[in-house]
Amino acid sequence: MIAVTGAGGVGSVAGAGAPPSYAVTELAELPALGGLYARGAVGSVAKRPRADVALPPAAYRVTDVDTTGTGPRLAAYQRVVGEPASDVLSAGFLHVLAFPLATAVMVRPDFPLGLLGMVHLRNAVRVLRPVRLGDDGVEVTAWAENARAHRRGVQVDLVAEILAAGELAYRGVSTYLAKGFTLPGVGAAEPGRPGGSADDGARPRTSGAGRDSWVPPLPTARWRLGKDIGPAYGAVSGDRNPIHLSSLGAKAFGFPRAIAHGMYTAARALAEVGPARRGDAYEWTAEFFKPVLLPGSVDLAIRYASDAGADVLPGSAGGFVYDGWRTGRAVRHLAGAVAPL
Amino acid sequence: MASSIPTTREAVIIGGNRIPFSRAGKKYVRTSNQDMFTAALEGLVARFGLQNELLGEVVGGAVLKNSRDFNLIRESVLGSSLAPATPAYDLQQACGTGLEAAIAVTNKIKLGQIESAVAGGTDTISDAPIAVGDKLRRALLQASHARGTGDRVKALLPVLGHPKWLAPETPDTGEPRTGLSMGEHQAITTAKWGITREAQDEIALKSHQNLYRAWEEGFFDDLVTPFRGLSRDDNLRGDTSAEKLATLKPVFGRGLTGEDGSPLPATMTAGNSTPLTDGASTVLFGSRDWAEERDLPVLAKFVDAETAGVDFVHGHEGLLMAPVAAVPRLLTRNGLTLEDIDFFEIHEAFAATVLTTLAAWEDEDYCRDELGLAGAFGKVDRDKLNVNGSSLAAGHPFAATGGRILATAAKLVHAKAAETGTPARALISVCAAGGLGVTALVESA
Amino acid sequence: MTDSYTRFANGGLKPLVKKLGLPQPAILRRHKPGSPLTVGPVLVVSDDASAADADAVTTVLTSWDLDVRRSPELAEGERFGAVVLVLTGAEHPQDVSAAVLTVGGILRRLAGNGRVVTVSRAPAAGDAPALAAARAGVEGFVRSLGKELRGGSTANGVQLADGAAVDSVSAVATLRFFLSAKSAYVDGQLLPVGPSTFSGDIDWDRPLAGKVAVVTGAARGIGAAIARTMARDGAKVVVVDVPPAGEALSAVANSVNGVALQLDVTAEDAADKILAAAKPLGGPDILVHNAGITRDKLLANMKADRWDSVIAVNLASQLRINARLLERGVEGLRIVSLASTSGIAGNKGQTNYAYSKAGVIGHTAATAPLVAAAGGTANAVAPGFIETEMTARIPFATRSVARMLPSLAQGGEPVDIAEAICFLASDPASGVNGQTLRVCGQHLVGK
Repeated sequence: MIAVTGAGGVGSVAGAGAPPSYAVTELAELPALGGLYARGAVGSVAKRPRADVALPPAAYRVTDVDTTGTGPRLAAYQRVVGEPASDVLSAGFLHVLAFPLATAVMVRPDFPLGLLGMVHLRNAVRVLRPVRLGDDGVEVTAWAENARAHRRGVQVDLVAEILAAGELAYRGVSTYLAKGFTLPGVGAAEPGRPGGSADDGARPRTSGAGRDSWVPPLPTARWRLGKDIGPAYGAVSGDRNPIHLSSLGAKAFGFPRAIAHGMYTAARALAEVGPARRGDAYEWTAEFFKPVLLPGSVDLAIRYASDAGADVLPGSAGGFVYDGWRTGRAVRHLAGAVAPL
Repeated sequence: MASSIPTTREAVIIGGNRIPFSRAGKKYVRTSNQDMFTAALEGLVARFGLQNELLGEVVGGAVLKNSRDFNLIRESVLGSSLAPATPAYDLQQACGTGLEAAIAVTNKIKLGQIESAVAGGTDTISDAPIAVGDKLRRALLQASHARGTGDRVKALLPVLGHPKWLAPETPDTGEPRTGLSMGEHQAITTAKWGITREAQDEIALKSHQNLYRAWEEGFFDDLVTPFRGLSRDDNLRGDTSAEKLATLKPVFGRGLTGEDGSPLPATMTAGNSTPLTDGASTVLFGSRDWAEERDLPVLAKFVDAETAGVDFVHGHEGLLMAPVAAVPRLLTRNGLTLEDIDFFEIHEAFAATVLTTLAAWEDEDYCRDELGLAGAFGKVDRDKLNVNGSSLAAGHPFAATGGRILATAAKLVHAKAAETGTPARALISVCAAGGLGVTALVESA
Repeated sequence: MTDSYTRFANGGLKPLVKKLGLPQPAILRRHKPGSPLTVGPVLVVSDDASAADADAVTTVLTSWDLDVRRSPELAEGERFGAVVLVLTGAEHPQDVSAAVLTVGGILRRLAGNGRVVTVSRAPAAGDAPALAAARAGVEGFVRSLGKELRGGSTANGVQLADGAAVDSVSAVATLRFFLSAKSAYVDGQLLPVGPSTFSGDIDWDRPLAGKVAVVTGAARGIGAAIARTMARDGAKVVVVDVPPAGEALSAVANSVNGVALQLDVTAEDAADKILAAAKPLGGPDILVHNAGITRDKLLANMKADRWDSVIAVNLASQLRINARLLERGVEGLRIVSLASTSGIAGNKGQTNYAYSKAGVIGHTAATAPLVAAAGGTANAVAPGFIETEMTARIPFATRSVARMLPSLAQGGEPVDIAEAICFLASDPASGVNGQTLRVCGQHLVGK
């Protein structure tokens, strides 16, 4: 149901692949995140905010990704985010699978934005056909595109595509914000209203109106998140950003306590909709607001889009919208949608 | 009765017995589910002289069970004065366990598979199972599957490094899929339906007043057998008042926001919510022939039953609203309307549960859109509602509630029919965790 | 349940106890199914005028496979288990001398737990003075002999009334009860026995077979013992007690394969509830009014609730239930009510209780002809000091003294009351009506 997501949220499926001007570099295997982080951290120091952000026209690709070997990791991932045990790689896991390649793009010396301190604003994913454990011919490609202004800096899309047996199975767009950077010709960061022209259409639709007037709906669930959830998701996703692992690490980056991975919360919402109701092909979007401090309690409203007022088919066929906020407070953490395609 | 139910023989309710219900942590501390169910069963055996009787079946269960209680009901039968050859099995449907057990055994009686049966349930919070955390559990399982001491030690080593793993996990009333407690779920439904604090407190007050009056009148003299020095439900407050209930602080539904952004009032208190309770109940059923051959009383017929589930996980429906859907199906199938019912026994999980149920049946749009009815289902005469009290006053040991209600309902319709000379009917409605509802129709016989 | 003093006095220090002149309570022989009726041969003695009745008694005793003797000679080491003294024909006090002295002559050869049972005729209106004296004298004789006997032996008497034959069913049943271990704690008592309407085979092992008995106050103590003994004798028992006693009550019901009825006997509809519970079983045939309470206080300190509640439970409830059952046309009902020696001899601090228990004795006599019209009987049993949970709460010193007062120098057991009640409730005892039988080990005071 396209109605749930803004048009073009994930980009055109028909135009799969990196922009034609991009040079594609084939890697033998998916890089290890640890090394990339080290490079990213070092590189970040050099990447000072400047006014002439230009993205490298480069894509990375790994063909014949070994999905068989990811079995134990998949099982661990499913346990952490609450996906039922399955040989199908959920959208959340496909994101995790492609993440090192996207990260490899971001740690390139010619990638203008620093890896550390980048804020994950939103994520939009389409799964077009299931990828299963043991599938051959799985190919992952990642690149950066569409650098654009944000009221607090520059936002950029990291796109990952996964092909299975030559067919596009997954396309994910992760939008990050690099604070303080500006685009050539734009000058100072545009203080645009959220949801205004600076935002592209990938912003997930939620039941509430704009951020300013957001009112928490009645909850449908409550998550009590312990301190261990940061390290646990870090282990299964490979995203061992120190802000998720410990209070100390988080304090170094200005957070009072460790914060949950945004993608963990989005993946858990996806899992709570579940494979039976999202189907084989689906769209999954997430927008992140205030981080979830750990330990913490998050109230969720994971609702049928039709019950939230969307003019779609009733029940699960019309897809789901979800909102998450701090229990008992109108402090919004995330919002998004899960819709069968 | 216009009915599509195939003709079978009747299953009749002969009587019931339960032990007094006790608030968790009080009289029944150090008393197991098996102790309590056996006591309830022994009282039933004594009331009807069933010593050494070979019954067709004893069926019941507990919502919170220790793993050693895998055969709880059979073990209870073996510890009772019934013939040891009486078969038994455990059944579990959350708070619907007791009533579902009744459905199971009456169906067998109606089909002629058995002649007599006991259905019931038991639950204890005071002797609830304590589980070890998942990490310790996995370590222990790995150790038990390990070959040789070395592997076993290796499996257990991580435990030494994580003393926190040893912290036990106690069961809570949270819904597994939502993490919200049952009270929070009801608070959301309560808010949706705009049920007031005053209306809830009134239901609670009535429950205590009615149960107290029934006890004073001796209504429970042949329904309850004392246990462990307790001879009356100890949650009962005969002297409570609207003023006292009004002083209690809300415990569920705090921090909910209305559509206009203003905070919704929290209305659910410890006074209009059921407390955690220990207890057990049993009900004796038979074919009419079986009862008459033994000159046992026949209080009522167990006419029919209907269960329902609701889609609550994504908030489309309230967790405890399934009976709302089950009852219209049950009554319609039996050619009845709410007008034909003399006694409504609607389990008071929370006062608000009763009120949202009644409100839904009176709501034309809801009944049309959600229940597929032509219009509003109807209005329940409040004078016929829980006339001898319900769970708010008696307490609610989950699996034991069905048996409590069933015995009460059977006695009520029997007395009413004897008084008026015309048949009397009772409708029983029990909501349950998991968005389940179990309902039944009982008629004087 | 034998009290600690009785155990002590029968232990290794028995000779010392004897030398010190301390009370010497015996360990009483109580009924066990299958055990012999008496502990040794039975001597039948009579005055000359009663020879024919003595022969008839001998015939009865012989039919029970007893070793019956007509002369007091015994082989070396042999002891009599019982003596039956038949005085039915004696018309003058001087006629009984030889027979009585014959009994005296064998008392040293009466075994422990032996029995002396007199069979005589009750004095009646219109008796000639000498005849009345001869008959009334037996009472003084029995009561005195009871106090002389040692070693758990007892003296009791069957008093034939209204022309009942010596071998009539009820006379025989009463004689058998007094001879047996079932009367272990009955001592110094005479029981008037009239003619019996009962005809039929008597199963002495299960005299209550096929009967439905209702026992009130049956959750514990004497009531529970009554229920168990009734069940042993073949009755189906409905046990009744107040709802708060339900847990113990259901345990009693299940132990006797009976039915538990939680009921306050003071309730208006108590009789109807009893009928409703007993009817499915085919009864009631027997009703035992055992429920009772004590609220002791000197009269000077007595408050209304203490007086009224005792009267309501112990007396008024029995009246109301009896009246209602008669009104409902219950036939052949055997009612046995619990009286008390307090109601006979009185007891300090128990004006209320004694009033109620004396009242029971009174209403039993008055109810007797009413139930007799419907083929039933009404009798009472008056317990003395019985070892129960209730008496266990009496202070130790008082309790110890109370135990020593009776001729048998010990408290009775609940089963002693139960045995007497089962006897009175049995069909063969139907000639006993309106009587109060004391089961008190021959309490020192009172009639």
